[in-house]
Parts: sequence; structure tokens; C-alpha cells
Amino acid sequence: MMQSTTNVSQPQTDLSEEFALKLQGVTKSYAGTPPVHALSDVSVSVRHGEFVGIVGASGSGKSTLLHVIGTLTRPTSGSVFINGMNTDGMSDGALSGLRSRDVGFVFQEFFLISGLSAVQNVANGLLYSGVQEADRLRRSEIMLERVGLGHRLNHLPNEMSGGEQQRVAVARALVHEPSFVLADEPTGNLDSRSTESMMELFYSLNEEGTTIIIITHDREVAERFPRQVVLKDGKIESDSGLV
Amino acid sequence: MGRKGGSPETSGPRSQLSIGDTLRTASTGPRSRKLRSALSALGITIGIAALVSVLGLSSSSSADLIRELDALGTNLLTVEAGQSFGSGNSSLPVDAPARIRRIDPVYEVAAVSKIGGGVYRSDLIEEGRTQGLTIIAADLNLLDAQQGSISQGQYLTSALQDFPTVVLGSVAAERLGITELTTARSIWLGEEWFVVVGILNPLPLAADLDRAAIIGYPAAAQYLDYEYEPDIIYVRAHAEHVLDVRSVMSATVNPEKPEEVEVSRASDVLEARAAAESAFTNLFLGLGVVALLVGGIGIANVMVIAVIERRNEIGLRRALGATRFHIAMQFLTESFFLSAAGGFAGVMLGIGVTVVYAMLQDWAVVIPSYALFGGFGSSLLIGGLAGLYPSLRAASMSPTEALRTR
Repeated sequence: MMQSTTNVSQPQTDLSEEFALKLQGVTKSYAGTPPVHALSDVSVSVRHGEFVGIVGASGSGKSTLLHVIGTLTRPTSGSVFINGMNTDGMSDGALSGLRSRDVGFVFQEFFLISGLSAVQNVANGLLYSGVQEADRLRRSEIMLERVGLGHRLNHLPNEMSGGEQQRVAVARALVHEPSFVLADEPTGNLDSRSTESMMELFYSLNEEGTTIIIITHDREVAERFPRQVVLKDGKIESDSGLV
Repeated sequence: MGRKGGSPETSGPRSQLSIGDTLRTASTGPRSRKLRSALSALGITIGIAALVSVLGLSSSSSADLIRELDALGTNLLTVEAGQSFGSGNSSLPVDAPARIRRIDPVYEVAAVSKIGGGVYRSDLIEEGRTQGLTIIAADLNLLDAQQGSISQGQYLTSALQDFPTVVLGSVAAERLGITELTTARSIWLGEEWFVVVGILNPLPLAADLDRAAIIGYPAAAQYLDYEYEPDIIYVRAHAEHVLDVRSVMSATVNPEKPEEVEVSRASDVLEARAAAESAFTNLFLGLGVVALLVGGIGIANVMVIAVIERRNEIGLRRALGATRFHIAMQFLTESFFLSAAGGFAGVMLGIGVTVVYAMLQDWAVVIPSYALFGGFGSSLLIGGLAGLYPSLRAASMSPTEALRTR
């Protein structure tokens, strides 16, 4: 099950490789009486290098959309393309491989592993992609420098502030150079000053070419995003990126 | 892990985790919860230590017993008068020793006789307070037949046996308070003072002699009015023929009433003791196995809790690209770590207990290799079984469920 292939050239099955992410008519329903339609007929595309905010109140289907985009759950119908690759019918193992290469998650609760230092936590972002340990640590150090935590390499999570912890989490999401960073309320647990510097970090990363998708309920934060997709009752209400 | 649709061309490389990374990842859990890990491994430690030390101690003690048997020989036969029909105790014929000597493979024959009367420190002690000690008259080659040894002084000689001289068994000497013979000591044998000329070391094949004051037959006749009649005859025969000698012994000793002669092999008693000890060994082994099972349940319990507590970590790792298999391996390996650490500590503790106890008992330390490898191996087996359910449960958790924070 552990392939030793070194051919990492991205295979393409879709012509729309300019898209980091493409959702086509995605519906997600949960069985029950009556069945719950968390998402209905959602279609949205994100180009490489874009900065997109997906905005919605709680219950709008945000979390489900996050999980569908991140391939953590499969849509009931419709298709999800990541970096031009159709995820339909992929096995659990293949989806895991896809996540280890193409998706960089940032969570509201950071989810750093408490017994590991900052650099080890970041290196976990490369753990499942077959990179040697020395290489993982080297690349993680570079990434921590890039998010401004070069002086915190060997600190444990509980020795750092919330803002610093979230920067470690961002470094972890970036270290394997994913097709896009998928951030779920990344500033939800931060004070206003840390929120400000976290958003600046996202903007500067985006300027350097990173595709960023932020899911938030906070319209005020989202207002400054170059593109906003508003989600309501499982449907896309508006998309400022559509021409 | 079957792949449903999606050939390698359309799905790209699968995620992977080397064995080294699996071990590293699995070690973070126990390392960041040291006390809990140590406590959960303790059960295995106790179980394995019990198994190793029980096996080690029983091997050491039986090795000691075998050494003792080898030293004493298994070719010593004890001939006694048995019960006769109707008339109480029978006795051995007076010419029995001479007849036994005629059996070809026999090379040593020593007779002893119990003599009435008590053994006293002095003539002032009330008659009857013998402290369980008896007077025994014996041949001069008794010590050779028993392969016994002298602790102090000397044994009876042809010169000494005509005079009132006595050699004490080890227990007799202790009860009489005679521990050294640098000054001349005498004891009162009811009718006469006897000079103590020697003290014997314990005789494992004839414990009765340890509680005896041993005198020569001529002295017994002269000073204690004793008439010769052998009670017990110790016979050494060449080892390969000892069973043949035993089979003809009764008829040789008393051709008229062979059924009144009892023949036993002294080493059989020691072997019976060894068998009795092994029964205890089995009991303790059983207890060790129970402790091991309880230890395994402890690890399973800790692992189930770990999976619940670390739900978010499982979700995170799935998001970072871990497959179900990677998650299962992480928790299974963690369980192996706990049990292997416990097992290793248990083996070490078991060796320690065995060495200390064997040294106290003056035994050679013998720990069978199957105890060491079996002990460690069974701890790994227990770890695998204990980790199986928790790891499968961790692997089957859906990523979205695992990432939920409340």
C-alpha cells in the first residue's frame, strides 16, 4: 500500500486545469425524515492564485461545503475536481493521497499535536506524502520562517500564543505546496490584533501565489476578500467572482 | 484496501507512511502521557515478571536438586524391616549385611541400629528429656555409604569405636548446643559419658541420622548393653544395576519372609519433593497468566480512552492525508509500545527476582530461554490483541465526525 513511486507529475483528466477547485452541481443530503439537504446544486470554481471567501450564517451548509471541498466527505451527487482531477469514485486511500498533496487545511481550533514542537507539527503536513524526515524538517523550518515564526521552531504549542499557534497551523497547511489552502474560520479563536495579522499573512501568501479559500460566518472579515461566495440554505446566493 | 474506480493515472500517488515514520508517530502518544503509559504498562510488567521469575526459580531450584542428586547418587538403597503379620515390628536377620555383600554389584554396605535410651547434655538432665534425639550404633563405613561429610572433628575409626566416643548428626549437635570442638565435650547417653569426636554435615538422603548420636557397635555392646541386630542397612550398588539389586534384595536379606523386608531408594524422596515443587510452580504460572490478562485489559482500556480523547488528532491526520490503515497502524503500534515496554521491564524484573532469590538460597541461577523469549513474546501478543479493537475503531471514524470539536 505504500507506493514508492517518485513520479509526482500531476495527471490531468480535465481540460480545466486552470482551476484549483471546481464543484459541479454538488448536492449533499443526509438521510432522515424528512431528509436534510445540506447542499443543493452548488457549482463554484476557483482559479489558481485566487483568494475566495465562502460566507454564510450557521446552518447555511458551510461546514458541509468545507468537508466536500476538502474531500473529507463525498457529495450525494455532482462532481468535485481538484487541480483538474475528478474525485468521483476515488477510493478512500486515493482521496487520502489527494489530500496529502493538494489540500492544505487550517482549522478554527488549530489542532496542533500537544507533544510535538512547532517544527514537528509543521512537518506533519508532509508526513503522509513520502518525504524523508530530514527533508520534512528542513522544509518546515523554511515555512515557519516564512510565516514569521523562525524564532519559535522548537517551542511546544502550549508555549505559544493563539496567534502563533495558528501561524504554525498555516505553515503546516502550506509546507506540502497544496493546490489551495482551505481555512475554516481561521480567526475564530483569535483576538482582534491576532486576527488582523493573520489576515495580513493570508493576503501576503496570496500575493506570492497561494490559492486561498476561507470559510467564515463573519461578513465583515469577508468584505475585504477579493471574491466572496455567499451561501444560504445550502445554495449559492451570490458570487462576486462570476462575470 | 480495495480501490474503487480511479486508476493510478487519474488519482495520482497514494499517501504513504514508512515504518520508521509509523514508529515515530506512534511514540508521540505514550511520550506525551508518560504517567498514564507507565501505569498501563505496569500490569504487563507484573504478569511477565511473575512468569519469568516463577520459571527461573523453579528451574534454578530443580537444577540445584539435580546437582544434589548427582552428588549424592541415585544408587543408594535403604533396607529396613517391614511390618510382619500379627506380631508387630519384625527385624532384619543378623547376617543380613554379610549376605547383601555377596550381591555382585554391591560395593558398600553399612548397617545402623537404633539403641534405646536418651541423649543428654549431662547426667543432671531429667530422664526422658531427649529433645527427640536418638542413639544410633553404626558401621565405620556409614559416611562412605551416605557420601556424607564431617563438619568438625572426625568420624569413628576402628580405634575409637571400642571406646565411649560419639559423632553427632547436624541437628543433634545444634540441639545439644555443641557447635565447636576446640575443647573436649562429653554427652551423657543414659549410662555412660561419651566424648564427642566429630559433628556431621546434614545427610540429605537419611535425615534420621541428622538427629542421632552415632556410636560404634563395640562401644554400644560394652557400655550400653546392646546386642547386635541391624535395623537399617544402607547399600550402595553400581548405578546401572541398582534396580536389579533392588529386585533381589528382599529375598537375599530374608529368604524365608521376603515380604517383611522394605527396600527403598533414598533419592526417590528427593524426586518426590521436586514433583511437589513443580505443582506449586504451575499454580504460580497460572497466577502470572491471570496478571498478564489483566494487564492486557488495562492496555486495551487506556487505548480505548486514547482513541476517544484524540478524536481531533485522528481527524487532523486524516485531513493531512493519513489513510484508515495509517490510523489503525498508529494506534496498534502504540499499543505494542506499551506492552513491549511493560514486557521488557517484566523480563528484567523477573531476572532480578530470580537472581536475588537464587543467591539467597545459594543456587546457581538458571533462567530458561523460553521464559525470556516467551515472556516478551506473550507481552507483544497481548499488546496486539489489546490494541486491535481500539485501532479499528480509530480507523473507522469518519474524518468529518473526528474533526467535530464538541
